[in-house]
Amino acid sequence: MKRLKTLLWVEYRRSRVWAAALLGSIVFWWWGLLQVRSLELINQLEIRAILLLIAASVGAAVLVLMIGRIRSETKDGTHQVLLMTPASGYAHVVARFGFTVSVAIAYYIGLMLMAWWAIGQAGIPLVAGDALALTLGMPLYAIATFLAPVLAWTVLLMVYISAHRVSGPNWIPGTVMVLATPLVFEKIGTGIYRILYRLPGWHVFEQLQLTLSGQYPDDSMGPALIMPQEPVWIMLLVCGVMLALAGRIWQEVEG
Amino acid sequence: MLARLSSATKRYGKTEGLRDVSLEFPLGEVVGVLGLNGSGKSTLLKLVAGLLFPTSGQVTVFGGSPRRNRAKVVYLGENDALYPWMTPDDAERFMGGLFDDFDPVRYDGLLEALEVPRRKTKRMSKGERGRLRLAMALARNAQLFLLDEPLAGIDLLSREKILQSIVREWHTRETILLTTHEVAEAEGLFERVVYLREGRLAADVNAEELRAENKSVIQTFREVLG
Repeated sequence: MKRLKTLLWVEYRRSRVWAAALLGSIVFWWWGLLQVRSLELINQLEIRAILLLIAASVGAAVLVLMIGRIRSETKDGTHQVLLMTPASGYAHVVARFGFTVSVAIAYYIGLMLMAWWAIGQAGIPLVAGDALALTLGMPLYAIATFLAPVLAWTVLLMVYISAHRVSGPNWIPGTVMVLATPLVFEKIGTGIYRILYRLPGWHVFEQLQLTLSGQYPDDSMGPALIMPQEPVWIMLLVCGVMLALAGRIWQEVEG
Repeated sequence: MLARLSSATKRYGKTEGLRDVSLEFPLGEVVGVLGLNGSGKSTLLKLVAGLLFPTSGQVTVFGGSPRRNRAKVVYLGENDALYPWMTPDDAERFMGGLFDDFDPVRYDGLLEALEVPRRKTKRMSKGERGRLRLAMALARNAQLFLLDEPLAGIDLLSREKILQSIVREWHTRETILLTTHEVAEAEGLFERVVYLREGRLAADVNAEELRAENKSVIQTFREVLG
């Protein structure tokens, strides 16, 4: 535990400028949302939704770059120092992933708060309890089903590429992995789709209800926010497998 | 025996880093690993550290796989491998949090002896960073120290401080393998010298015996590798 805590601290020190810049950018996006005031309400919501979508995409890109900075470490030798520590490869990978996901959660909760504010501004009523549940639920759902697997894949990709650095040209496995990325995610997506929609009326788990039951008397928003649980569990499992592979490669990599 | 290489060969693609080298390193020796550039010095140390796997042959450390025992080995690589944000206090937290054998009292003594400034490594000179890295390495209570070029690119005064610290901190219960191009300055340290040429073992000599024959390590370096 002491080693994992130290590795988390190293990760915080290593990436805190990136994390601070990303979290600080929430102020910029907030400023952007405030500028959209002179339009009609429905247009305001559209533009604000687009802005928030851009913010979400930029955040995902920054987080991928933040977690993928392994190549610079192998170049300057800090990777060798980390390889020589008694902490297992799994601990190194978990520390990296854990810190980045924590930053992602903070960032996307910030965006979600702004989203609810924008919805409120457009005249769509929200019960306070629901807003809180959704503010936590929506980002966590999106992170679990999309961002976390992308981050885990990035770690695996970078560890795999750096594993070939010493004894061979690492651009070959790098190119293969990068080209394989869309294919892998397409296969996972197809698999999830098949589980969810090719078997009508059948679900492994109860559907995930992000709204609090009974809070919407007219049931106008409820159904739209009910989500299946399967993608969450499947993607968390996929994440676990990718992180386990990355940790195993880290254990065996030459430095 | 702390470390043993049996017919160890390491290839990097088509290039051979080390070829059919057999060596044994018992407890309580300061061994100089000398050779020209590309002779296989760093490869030898990395094989013992478990950072590389031999292509053929065998390497054992503490009777087992170097990779499994790497936590017991101190390896100071040739790269200037410190995070730019790291101060000596951060380095203490890093080492103390990851290595059970790290001795903070010894570390503080070494920082003082080596005159390491208390600022971030990005604001230190190369010599100061080298001295900090050495303090981090020598503050561990390990038995096997692998020091790869700790004197490279460092000014004369810093080199002297580093060598003095190695002499002062060395105990008979430790073995140090040290590679350097500063043969003349470091030769007083060595009890044994391993000469490598183009990845092969060129000579393995006892430094005391050399001195008894009125020969110096650097003279033998010229004879063996010249």
